[in-house]
Amino acid sequence: MAKLQRGESECELEKGVRVSVEMSDSSEDEGPEEVAFEESRSAALKSEEEKLQAAKREKELLKEKRRKRQQFFQEQKKKRLLSDTLLEEFDTVPQKQKKLSDDRDEEKDNKQQKLTKSKKKKASRSLQGNCSVMRLKDESADSSMQQSAMDFIQARLYGSGTLRTTNAELLSLEKKRGVKKGAAVQFVNKKWGAEQKAKAEKSNKRFIHRQKLVTT
Amino acid sequence: MGEFKVHRVRFFDYMPSAIRALAFQPQREKIAVARTSGSVEIFNCADRFFQEKIIPGREQAATEALAWVGDRLFSAGLNGVISEYDLENQKVKYTIDAFGGPMWTIASNQQGTHLAVGCEDGTVKLFEVCEGKIQFEKNLAKQKGRILSLSWHPSGSRIVAGMMDMIRVFNTETGQSVHRLLVERGIGASRSVECVVWGVVYLSDGTIISGDSSGKVKIWDDLTGTLIKSHQVTKWDVLALSVSQDETSVVAGTSEGTVVQFQFLSVVLGQEDKEWVQTRIFKNHTHDVRAVLELGTAVVSGGMDTQFVVRPLLDKIEERGPECVLRKIQFPHRSLVSCAKKAGLLLFQYPGHLELWRLGESDGHGASGSVLPVKRKPEKLLHLKIKGEEHICCSAVSPCGEWIAYSTVASFRLYRLHCDNNNVSITKVSKLPKVLSSANQICFSSDSSKLFAASTCSSVHVVSLSQTVHKFVCTLKPKSGSVQAVHLLAASEDGKWLASANSDREVQIYNLTKMKLHSTVPVYNSGVTAMAIHPTTNNLFMVHADQQVFEYSIEEKKYTDWSRQVQRNGLHYLWLARDTPVTNVTFNPKNPTHIILHDAYMFCIIDQTLPLPDSCSQFYNQLTLRSLPEKDRTKHSHAFKMCKTFKELMFVELMEDQSLVAVERPLVEIAAQLPAPVRQKKFAT
Repeated sequence: MAKLQRGESECELEKGVRVSVEMSDSSEDEGPEEVAFEESRSAALKSEEEKLQAAKREKELLKEKRRKRQQFFQEQKKKRLLSDTLLEEFDTVPQKQKKLSDDRDEEKDNKQQKLTKSKKKKASRSLQGNCSVMRLKDESADSSMQQSAMDFIQARLYGSGTLRTTNAELLSLEKKRGVKKGAAVQFVNKKWGAEQKAKAEKSNKRFIHRQKLVTT
Repeated sequence: MGEFKVHRVRFFDYMPSAIRALAFQPQREKIAVARTSGSVEIFNCADRFFQEKIIPGREQAATEALAWVGDRLFSAGLNGVISEYDLENQKVKYTIDAFGGPMWTIASNQQGTHLAVGCEDGTVKLFEVCEGKIQFEKNLAKQKGRILSLSWHPSGSRIVAGMMDMIRVFNTETGQSVHRLLVERGIGASRSVECVVWGVVYLSDGTIISGDSSGKVKIWDDLTGTLIKSHQVTKWDVLALSVSQDETSVVAGTSEGTVVQFQFLSVVLGQEDKEWVQTRIFKNHTHDVRAVLELGTAVVSGGMDTQFVVRPLLDKIEERGPECVLRKIQFPHRSLVSCAKKAGLLLFQYPGHLELWRLGESDGHGASGSVLPVKRKPEKLLHLKIKGEEHICCSAVSPCGEWIAYSTVASFRLYRLHCDNNNVSITKVSKLPKVLSSANQICFSSDSSKLFAASTCSSVHVVSLSQTVHKFVCTLKPKSGSVQAVHLLAASEDGKWLASANSDREVQIYNLTKMKLHSTVPVYNSGVTAMAIHPTTNNLFMVHADQQVFEYSIEEKKYTDWSRQVQRNGLHYLWLARDTPVTNVTFNPKNPTHIILHDAYMFCIIDQTLPLPDSCSQFYNQLTLRSLPEKDRTKHSHAFKMCKTFKELMFVELMEDQSLVAVERPLVEIAAQLPAPVRQKKFAT
């Protein structure tokens, strides 16, 4: 756009220059050129016509685009819908099913009047949607609520964010600050340090393997 | 005196469960303790905090709170049911579902008419306490958070509920929330977590005191609904609050194991205006303190380190006596170990199973105090899991080692054990008399021919055991018609006498040849913690919770001369100052004048031929006696021979081959299995 601007301005400049050059060529001697009224009128009309035509062309282009889009959408819609033949088939079948179930219900009602048992009615109707039947005894919502309550209290007291240490640490600190100083419990009592020893052994093995100290 | 080979047994992995709630009943001075295993224990404050009753828990129990209404005890738990306990028979009377989801707290009003329960779904439910049951009355306005703590105003017209991030004051008649007090969250990282109000207390002048998870104790005014003062007590949570009867002292239990006391005092001496001031800090726990009680004369606390600590407030106690002692009750006041003397077997009672071990053997001889080489290691013969969810109430093994019996609140089981050298087989006895549905205490006769099971109303059922059929013989009942349960049974060696002690402080002696009541020991105002019948003289030896010792002659129906002399002389003050009760008494068949008894920190042999110690003589004189030459020893020795070598004793018994069994449970082993404590940064560590 900058170029266009420059271009335009250059043209204008050039025109200005030309005019001024023309002017300068014949400036002292002659008067300005006479342009006939007819010529200028025809030039103005032409430019207006061109403008109108350009606008028309644009409109037509837009129309075309819109038409094409509309057609495309209609075709898409047609693809999504099932074919008419299938729709006709479907129309007939559900009606048949309804009729069948009605018949069955009538029969059952008759039976009920004879047997006076209401359990079968429930069994015949199929459940719609994703439902299943469970006994209240087998699963109680209470256990999950109890579990979530226990998780809440566990998280508040021992979860992340609570600063907790181990019993080994506590007892070792007591020994360190006690009247009779002693070593940490991991070193005194074999059972305490078992986990840490196992960890230390594993990390030693890993180190040796990585450093390839032991040639296999 | 005697040389004994001692089996030091440390393979009883007794693990107590954490204390979750405490409740005080002022009329009878009893404290109810709820543990995380679901068991409820009743301690008697007036009787040296003797553990009178134990109601066993169950699997998957989650008791959260306890409340007394008069003489009735109620509990609420995360399983959503309110249970009432039958304290006479030591079991749950009934449970009622509150339909509010898990329940966090239960509180009774001062008038004793209503119970309020705080639920997970945000409702406070009011129940009316009727005769023999409780009835749902109404819900107060449902809130959006869970209700974690409740407190009634002493007038009963208002309730304050501690929730997440706020405290609400309800009017109990209309059920609507009157005030909403917003609790600010902690600083720093804890700003993003909700502040949980773990405890609230409502005082009669309208002051509300709350303890929350940011470690602050806040004092609010309920008339205006504003905060008066906030005290930062700890960096961790304040988990429990309790106010004294006269509303001048409040104690708060924290997550770092400290108990902080606030008192209502005037800051400047002589001035009238009082305010709540933090006064004392007690550091008696290593882990979180989940429950506290302010008794006025003492502060009782319990938490995750499973200890029940009583810290007396010496400025409130007038006389010097046994109440001035700091008590830490770690072990139960009953024996969980029973021993088959003739077979060398030990039966360990765990909450959900039983273990039978055979003791090891050693041939060597050594000097006093030396460790002998073990020829054969102790081996576990039997691991018996119980069916069902209830925990074991009591268990026993017969002296010959052939019968094992245990009882829960719902069932009674008897097993026959066949033990060859290597093979152990066990068969369940299926056809038991219907009378044996559950028992509070079980005892076998010394020749293993009879089984005694203590049942409701202090009665004892006698069942004869044989190879094939087990017949119910009869039921022995006391004359007094007491409804309390029997907690101790003792059978004599010759099979003629049976003694039973119940929670009403009665000791009955039954004649087993005639199968009827023989006599009743005169009532003493302290409960019996251990008793046994002497094999030859048939004297009943009893030790009480206040450390008094009595000997009662069964055949003559009166106290023996030795016992009268002990009473006249008075026991040595160091004996009376011991803070753990004696849980087992046994005798030495070779030395009829010796009585062996033990408590948690010592075991002692009482020699009835030697003179009694007087208050100026040295009581723990074993080491001095050893240093003296033989001739001088008789001059200085006295009847009580104490040995403190074995610590945290759970059981001491003398076997047939004159070797002692000492079952120890070091506290360090228990501490190893506790949950994580808070991390405290101490100087120079």
